[in-house]
Amino acid sequence: MFDARVAVRDVSLSVNAGEIVTLLGPNGAGKTTTMRMLAGLILPTAGRISIDGIELTDATAARARGSVGLLTEAPGLWERLSVHINLLTYARLQGVGDPAASVSEALTHVDLLDRANEIAGKLSKGLKQRVAIARALLHKPRILLLDEPTAGLDPASARHVRDLILGLRSEGRAILVTTHNLGEAEELSDRIAVLKTDLLAFDTPAKLRNARAGGRVIIELEGGARREFDIAATGEIPAIVAKLVADGARIMRVTPDQRSLEDAYLDLVGAER
Amino acid sequence: MTPFKWYRVTALAGKDARELLRNPGAIIPAVLMVFASLFPLFLVIFLVPMIMGKTLEQSGEFSEEAANAVGRIPELAGLSGNALVQTFLFHQFSLLVMLVPIVSATTLATHAVIGEKQSKALEPLLATPISTIELLAAKTLTPFLFALALTWAAAALEVAGAIALGEPGVWRSIVGPRLLILFGVLGPLVVLASLQVSVITSSRASDPRSAQQLTALLILPITAVFVAQLLGLVIVGPAALLLGALACLILNVVLAWIGVRVFQRESILTRWR
Repeated sequence: MFDARVAVRDVSLSVNAGEIVTLLGPNGAGKTTTMRMLAGLILPTAGRISIDGIELTDATAARARGSVGLLTEAPGLWERLSVHINLLTYARLQGVGDPAASVSEALTHVDLLDRANEIAGKLSKGLKQRVAIARALLHKPRILLLDEPTAGLDPASARHVRDLILGLRSEGRAILVTTHNLGEAEELSDRIAVLKTDLLAFDTPAKLRNARAGGRVIIELEGGARREFDIAATGEIPAIVAKLVADGARIMRVTPDQRSLEDAYLDLVGAER
Repeated sequence: MTPFKWYRVTALAGKDARELLRNPGAIIPAVLMVFASLFPLFLVIFLVPMIMGKTLEQSGEFSEEAANAVGRIPELAGLSGNALVQTFLFHQFSLLVMLVPIVSATTLATHAVIGEKQSKALEPLLATPISTIELLAAKTLTPFLFALALTWAAAALEVAGAIALGEPGVWRSIVGPRLLILFGVLGPLVVLASLQVSVITSSRASDPRSAQQLTALLILPITAVFVAQLLGLVIVGPAALLLGALACLILNVVLAWIGVRVFQRESILTRWR
């Protein structure tokens, strides 16, 4: 809560190792606030947050901040300084054993080792974002919080960042991402949480698409006949098929008229409007 | 509560120092201010007598005030004539020379937190394990060392001017306990206090100008003492300077305590836009 305004309420979700969870929601839905709480930047007024086994409190916030890698919405680099000095400062702030080696390793991770001596302010937006991702990796966190990692990037840079995120998942890190790009959410996510102050849904992209289908199922019968049924959810399909079979129909193909994630998202968010 | 770590302070202060060195727009005016602070001193002691064709003693300017100060400023003992007036004025103007570098350094300090926020670098910085006291110490350290360097450079130039242009022996009467207390003890403590006020205000205000205006309030009393002693209304001897230093030290401790308590990570992140 900020003063009397509720920013986020009744949000209960977990992110496992080797999993990408995406937070979707309209502007002001509480995504960034959720990220900041998970990063130990602000404490919740109620509820419980556990980061890598550490329960987040005033006393543990600093330790929690050291175990999480946060990519903020804006890269926030020190633009007068080189990429190397930017990262070296953060490596020292994180207290890593060999700061210079950590910087090289993080830059290698984002394929920018050859740009280490360039002034951060002179880099393109996409490169700045990759430097910011390298910054989040310096202390080898097992948990990554990425706030709109591809916002404002050109398609090629966004592709590069998405590949990078998928690579980080394959290393076994737990990753929470926020985005407004539904295609990106579908591509990256193992599970998606839809947030609008409250948690509206939390499931895999496929289940989210189908859970509140409100669509149709097309059933092709022997001989080319075709039947269409309106359904509220894909869970109704087996019963429809069973009834047709019981009535003697010979079913050749069952095709749920799949809705996009966008339809499902707008249904969820719009219903709460 | 995490233990205080100097490596985090030096990492961030080192970054600030690097940024400062890459910013001639901040350094050049500060250096010019040092010369500007010395100008009235050399104008009154050397230039005006040169133009008028009369020494200070011959014109009778400040002779009475210098004679009255003999008992209260030990370094004036044994001096007479023009040397006495020159030494007296060197001592009186030292307060002004000490003040000016403070003004330059506080300009840097007022940008300490606001600058990071404006460049969107504050959130990733706060996401590291750095504690509030470490952050405030780091943000004070670089402007403090910069102000100290400027103050001592100003003192060295003052003495160099006395050697080059003053009556024989005047410079030896300047370099005494009073100058050492002023530039070695009181000066650094006043610098520290003014920087602390700047950084605290910087962490609460969203506009650097309001922070600078508040800092100016701290400098006003010292300016008043300077004017009063130039008019012969007060003579500030070594004992009074030491007393002022003690008061300043207490103020430093109080300001450090206040700084930690008024710095609110949450409101800085959520309310500043």
